[in-house]
Amino acid sequence: MSSNKETFSQISPSEFFYRNRDLAGFSNPTRSLYTSVREFVENALDACDQKRILPDIHLSIKAVDSEQPDPKHYVLTVKDNGPGIDPKHIPLAFGTVLYGSKFGLKQARGMFGLGATMAILYGQITTNKPVTVKSCADEKTLDEFVMLLDIQKNKPVILKHTTKEAAKTGLSVSIVLEGDYSKAGTKIRDYVSQTSLITPYASITFEDPAGEKFHYPRIVKEMPPPPTVIKPHPHGVDVETLRRMIIDTHYQIPTVDNKMIEKVRKELGMQKKNPSPKDILDRAEKRWSDLSRSIRIVIAVMSFLNIDFEMLRKIRIDDVDIANKKVVYWDFGESQSHAVELDPESTYYKQLANTVQGETLLTFLTKRFQRVGPTTSEKFCEFAKLKPEKRIGSMTNDELVRLADALQKFDEFLAPDPSCLAPLGEEPLSKGVMKFFNPEFAAVIQRSASAYSGFPFIVEMGIAYGGDIPQTGLKVYRFANRIPLLYDEGSDVVLKVVNETDWSRYKVKGEPPLVIVSHICSTRIPYKTVGKENVADRPELERELKNALQYLARKLAVHMSRQGMADMAKKRANLYTKYVPLIAQFATELSGKKKEPNYKQLVRMGSEIEEQI
Amino acid sequence: MRLRNKSRAKTAEARKQKLLSLLQKHGLGIYEDLDQGKFPQFVIPSRSVNNIVYDKKLRQYILGSASAIRSARNMSQLRSYTQLAWLAFFVNRLVKEGKSSTLRDIYYSSQAFSIDFEDQPESDNIIVDLEAVLSSPREEFHIFPEERSSVFGDLTIEYTVRGYEGKRVNLSDHPDGYLIGPSLSSAELVDTSAELVIAIEKGGLFTRFVEENVHKKFKAIIVDTAGQAPRSTRNLLRRLNSELSLPVVILADGDVYGEHIAMVIKSGSANAAHLRELTVPDAKWLGVWATDIEKYKLPTIPMTEADVKRIYDLQKDPRYQEGIWKKQLEVFLKLKRKAELEAFSKYGLTNITDKYLPAKLEESKSL
Repeated sequence: MSSNKETFSQISPSEFFYRNRDLAGFSNPTRSLYTSVREFVENALDACDQKRILPDIHLSIKAVDSEQPDPKHYVLTVKDNGPGIDPKHIPLAFGTVLYGSKFGLKQARGMFGLGATMAILYGQITTNKPVTVKSCADEKTLDEFVMLLDIQKNKPVILKHTTKEAAKTGLSVSIVLEGDYSKAGTKIRDYVSQTSLITPYASITFEDPAGEKFHYPRIVKEMPPPPTVIKPHPHGVDVETLRRMIIDTHYQIPTVDNKMIEKVRKELGMQKKNPSPKDILDRAEKRWSDLSRSIRIVIAVMSFLNIDFEMLRKIRIDDVDIANKKVVYWDFGESQSHAVELDPESTYYKQLANTVQGETLLTFLTKRFQRVGPTTSEKFCEFAKLKPEKRIGSMTNDELVRLADALQKFDEFLAPDPSCLAPLGEEPLSKGVMKFFNPEFAAVIQRSASAYSGFPFIVEMGIAYGGDIPQTGLKVYRFANRIPLLYDEGSDVVLKVVNETDWSRYKVKGEPPLVIVSHICSTRIPYKTVGKENVADRPELERELKNALQYLARKLAVHMSRQGMADMAKKRANLYTKYVPLIAQFATELSGKKKEPNYKQLVRMGSEIEEQI
Repeated sequence: MRLRNKSRAKTAEARKQKLLSLLQKHGLGIYEDLDQGKFPQFVIPSRSVNNIVYDKKLRQYILGSASAIRSARNMSQLRSYTQLAWLAFFVNRLVKEGKSSTLRDIYYSSQAFSIDFEDQPESDNIIVDLEAVLSSPREEFHIFPEERSSVFGDLTIEYTVRGYEGKRVNLSDHPDGYLIGPSLSSAELVDTSAELVIAIEKGGLFTRFVEENVHKKFKAIIVDTAGQAPRSTRNLLRRLNSELSLPVVILADGDVYGEHIAMVIKSGSANAAHLRELTVPDAKWLGVWATDIEKYKLPTIPMTEADVKRIYDLQKDPRYQEGIWKKQLEVFLKLKRKAELEAFSKYGLTNITDKYLPAKLEESKSL
């Protein structure tokens, strides 16, 4: 959930979410119980993933009064062996909405740390009971907080705070909420079991209200590589994103106030006296390579205006107009505006031009996007019919649109860097599938990374056939960022792709014992709804899913035809064993012989030869 | 009375011996293959549409040179290969022991030998396969269809079937006629006073003809073809024509099917293109012609769409490209109406025998 190094920031009040709790999956006691389980379990897994700790998760749901009919009050507790949370962050992390550490371009299960607080909020609304958080982040002390949320103020109210000694890090969150386990139970059990399938490196225990324990042991001991934060991929950038990126990259003319002037003096080592403009420029030339960028700009402007520090104090730079080669400034002393010509021959001209117009297109492409080198950039500029030395700050709107358009269309960019993603990997997925379904045949594939609208994604898929899988027809297990998706199956893109497949082409008939496990990893899963249960059919995503499925289906077909050949061989042997003796019997009587021919050899040959014709 | 007991008296016995030795030859071939670890196979002349051609010289459909191999090596053919071997084996028993069987009986008999035919059409097909392999009609195998047609008239035959060897019978002894079954089919044709064979499509008119003494009035042997003539009947007609030199005339309903019944007696069917000796190339179709419908003012019924389609189909057949066959099809197509043999009853029950038949026989002389 957090660590000392991460920064927390408060971004929105809880009131909004209190009023719109349906959006986040808290529409009724059944759904709310399920969503709360999900949020806490996912937070726990995310916390362990980030610190590369093999997760050990304990989930328990206990009725406050088991005699009462559903919906009733339940105590939901999720305990993990993660890094814990620094006690000074705990009240804010669990006592305010939209206070999180999960911002940035990388994959995580939860988003914005919103869900857990929503669950706490929902519990408080329905039962008026506080949340209990126990955390140990330093392997020494365990902090226990009992808190309520002040909804209007979006502020935690700490009822109790105690500490005791502890040896291991970890976090335990416990809330009381109104739920309906009789209805949500199936989904929750499915959720826990499917989570264990897609998180084979975790050990998960679930104790249900009846006291029954479901234990899913760790199947693999290695965790998949962690995701990193990365730059955007060119295919996933639209005009608006591009505009924002450009604004980020080119420098503003710094505000020249006393503080700035002090800084200039300091970097030039001219703090004491008031040197002449020439002295300033001479000194600047000597120290140029050590000067910071903003200082260089101030000095460049001073060179054109030919002024000293005293004078600099009295003016305000209004505009550096490279197109007309002018600097416009306001003189406070005279209370009027002046324009000074810029000499393009001057060594300072380039400095100013670069600053105002931003970097060249070539530099922009190589520096601001992932996996774009100078060669690709040059090819791209040719493709987009844009000059590589063009300053991005000077681009017109039309040129920007053309650039954005070309970025989408140019097909020589490398595939997006998947390092921001955390797919499970083929081996753990395969082990999970084998352990989970115990099939007669299984295959997995991890597609190379692709992108939709600037967000990279990776599709992982597994297929399993026969063995312990019941003959009840094709079943699809959907996962996104290692979360099982259980609701709203019908409208999901994975289901769409699976249903559009003609399985008879892959020698699969009837109600096959067939399972498909689909895992989509992305920095942003294109969910159709806030409930995060079904994935929208983006064409890029659909194509990847289709390719993955076709690959696996072909593997299955090979297995099936091998299976079919074995069946055929058996059938052959049976046929020849049955018919050859009959033929011998008929031929013996027809030919008028007494003794039957020795046909044993033929039975054996018939059983062995390959299918002909 | 003409006596035509030619030196062929023992033709039936000769044919039997020839068939038995052919069967034994096949049996030995299979036996040796099995013994030597080779997969035995049958060579079956192909009966596919592409391989059925009309032979103008023989004046019948015949099979071309293409043939198919049914091998025990091919798993998908193993079952039907075994069925064919079984049938050869079973036919050998039938012929040796002088027993007869029917198409249906073959289907049921197979079950005692673990030869599983899925249905009777499958076993019927295997019988046709054996016919093609041995180039003999199934009647030679003592296998007959269920439906049988009849024959009546002054014809003396001599049975060759077991227990009746040498026994003679005159086919005018019984007014219902004699069934053209296995024993009659294998009998020798000994003697007749008849000068004509009348093949008639319908059992009802056959009885009428007997009642009206047509056999005496016209010195005729009357054959009831019971619709499309079964092969045993066609074979008998051929023998009456070739062995006793009797001309054969045919009376059928006044429609396209009637015309084709006559044609099949004359030149065979595509279904039996693998067989000879089932045709009577000189047989004459007396009627009822399309032109007779107008000429005799027969009551008619309209043709169905299927009737019309059948006419178009037959018009593509090489045998319908000339003469009366071509002309009548054209008139039928123009009339779009048809008449049955019974239509003559409108002018009295004996009208057909008193008026129509003599007139048509006269007319046929010029054909």
